[in-house]
Amino acid sequence: MKPVNFDYARPADVGAVLALLAEDGPSVKLMAGGQSLGPMLNMRLVQPDLLVDIAAIDELKQVTDKGDAIVFGACITHADIEDRRVPDVTHGALPRVANGIAYRAVRNRGTVGGSLTHADPSADWISMLSAVGARVTLRGPSGERTIAVEDYMLGALEADLRPGEMLVSATVPKLGRSARWGYYKSCRKTGEFAHAIGAFLADPDRGVCRVVIGATESRPIVVADASRLLGDGTAARLEQVFDSAAADEIVAAAGMEDPLDRQTHVVALRRAIERAHSA
Amino acid sequence: MNTVTLTVNGKPARADIEPRTHLADFLRDTQNLTGTHIGCEHGVCGACTILVDGVPTRSCITFAVACEQADVTTVEGLDNDEVATELRAAFTSEHGLQCGYCTPGMIVSARDVVLRMDDPSEHEIRVAMSGNLCRCTGYVGIVRAIQGVIAARRARGIAAIPGGEHRTALGPAGSGHAVAATQFGTASSGARKPTLTVAKSDSRPDAKAAAPARQDADWKPQTTFTESFTVGHPVDEVWAFFDRIGEVASCLPGASLAGEPVDGHVEGQIRIKVGPISAEFQGVADVSRDDATKTGTINGAGKDKRSNSATRGLIGYAVKPGDKPGETRVDVSIGYTLTGVLAQFGRSGLVQDVAGRLIAAFVQNLEAKLAHQAGGGEPGASAPPVVTELDAGSLVSSVVFGRIKRFFAALFGRR
Repeated sequence: MKPVNFDYARPADVGAVLALLAEDGPSVKLMAGGQSLGPMLNMRLVQPDLLVDIAAIDELKQVTDKGDAIVFGACITHADIEDRRVPDVTHGALPRVANGIAYRAVRNRGTVGGSLTHADPSADWISMLSAVGARVTLRGPSGERTIAVEDYMLGALEADLRPGEMLVSATVPKLGRSARWGYYKSCRKTGEFAHAIGAFLADPDRGVCRVVIGATESRPIVVADASRLLGDGTAARLEQVFDSAAADEIVAAAGMEDPLDRQTHVVALRRAIERAHSA
Repeated sequence: MNTVTLTVNGKPARADIEPRTHLADFLRDTQNLTGTHIGCEHGVCGACTILVDGVPTRSCITFAVACEQADVTTVEGLDNDEVATELRAAFTSEHGLQCGYCTPGMIVSARDVVLRMDDPSEHEIRVAMSGNLCRCTGYVGIVRAIQGVIAARRARGIAAIPGGEHRTALGPAGSGHAVAATQFGTASSGARKPTLTVAKSDSRPDAKAAAPARQDADWKPQTTFTESFTVGHPVDEVWAFFDRIGEVASCLPGASLAGEPVDGHVEGQIRIKVGPISAEFQGVADVSRDDATKTGTINGAGKDKRSNSATRGLIGYAVKPGDKPGETRVDVSIGYTLTGVLAQFGRSGLVQDVAGRLIAAFVQNLEAKLAHQAGGGEPGASAPPVVTELDAGSLVSSVVFGRIKRFFAALFGRR
């Protein structure tokens, strides 16, 4: 359980990382907190020539308030969010989700950017950040581009990174005053990867009503306009409005054929809605 | 080798280590601090949990070089720590350990729970401690010990500190103390040398893998799923194409043959890249087909030397007329068994996601080849496959994206 030998670099800024990524030849792997990559290196599933440690880069640990949104650097950890060392603009949604990721010792090093880029379908951030409508910013040789979190994930373990590109930040919109959210994941053992995830955001002030069904075998199923499932999102008890049959149709239309699987995912979503949190 | 300097239990600790050395090995092998135990060595069991910059961290999946100049505390450094002293007494009185292997990690995590959580229920303690496995006690004594220490401290008026006691900095614990490091080589000269010597040049299939393809007729694949696709070309053309096994292989991203088949026996390899994982399976296959029913089978086995994983697969296909004239429907059944490290890591869903992507790319390449041929191109001549390697690049190809989405959809939920 020792990794193969690799070379190591710890650049001081993003520009230096991009220069290393642009080098032709050696296989380069970026590492932030290393909590997903570490096990894969130890099991020798990943055997890079060069490991580039991006956790010393100040820019990636910055948090910026953009007025209607907050921008987290890629190396903000789950514990930073859980402990509210970074401001919460989601009525407790992100701290609550962070609190449920793996174990505390992992949360102290694992990062938001690393989790999204690792693109495990069962991980928490890909589903919850899709629910709140977050976007990620990628920087590469031809400049920056910003895309929706759900579009960043192409498939299991596959992120939309063009050659020489890296994720630098995630932008989370500030939720409206009356926004409500819910998150539920089904795990047999605490801290393990989820078998089904349900998440929703009803934010009538901003005209947003989104539902996410995650921990599928690939990208999460994102319903950007969930009015069919939750009406206009203003009902006092959303679970009374929630249409389980319609949710089942949606997961079936997304190709989930196994009835047990569909049931598990619809129930995860229903529980997320029953546990709605507000400001 | 690189020189890494840390503060361990309050004293400077320095050692020349390889970049791959994780913190637990640094502490045990270079500092003789064997109180840090290594259990699973992939971040699951919690035995190696230590404090880095004052907060619990998995030392088996944290590289020492990434923690340059960080402040590290092991169980040996907690001798005079107030909370750890109380926990040791409580673990003793509550029978919180038997063999003691998990205990150093337990003490570090329990200390964190005592410091951070004000009045946790038993359930909350169990959840918070769930990242530390114990195979002896059944956890009852451990949970009681923690409950006892928390109750005693709160009774003495010592409140919890929700975020822990030390941390104010953002980012991974242990990071950010030392700034840029120029590239560390593993060679002592500092010159970069290729550290990987994978058998890339050895393109000959593993002879040992050849045997099982022919024997063992009873073999049944662990996982089987079926897939269908339709191409806009006549049945006879498609059936004839499937006979040219070299061309069929060239439609499969990353696959190539060592030569033309002899008596239905063929050797080759396939390179698969999924995120950071790449595997190169080399192996053999037996190919058979029946002109009367227009069905065929490919029975193969291969090994990936890099990950020491092996796979066996049985692919069946049937070529039949499609719904519209001039179209052909191909039904494919794929059965496989994966063993070794990749199987340990892989969840079946991930394998199917990859298989779905492979097939989607295969169909696209197949259509391109058939179209080229129909347009007068020579069979076997150029018309390069559109997708040559399965990776992120192949997924963003706009042509294939819609089809991949449909394949993803079709694959959802299968076990």
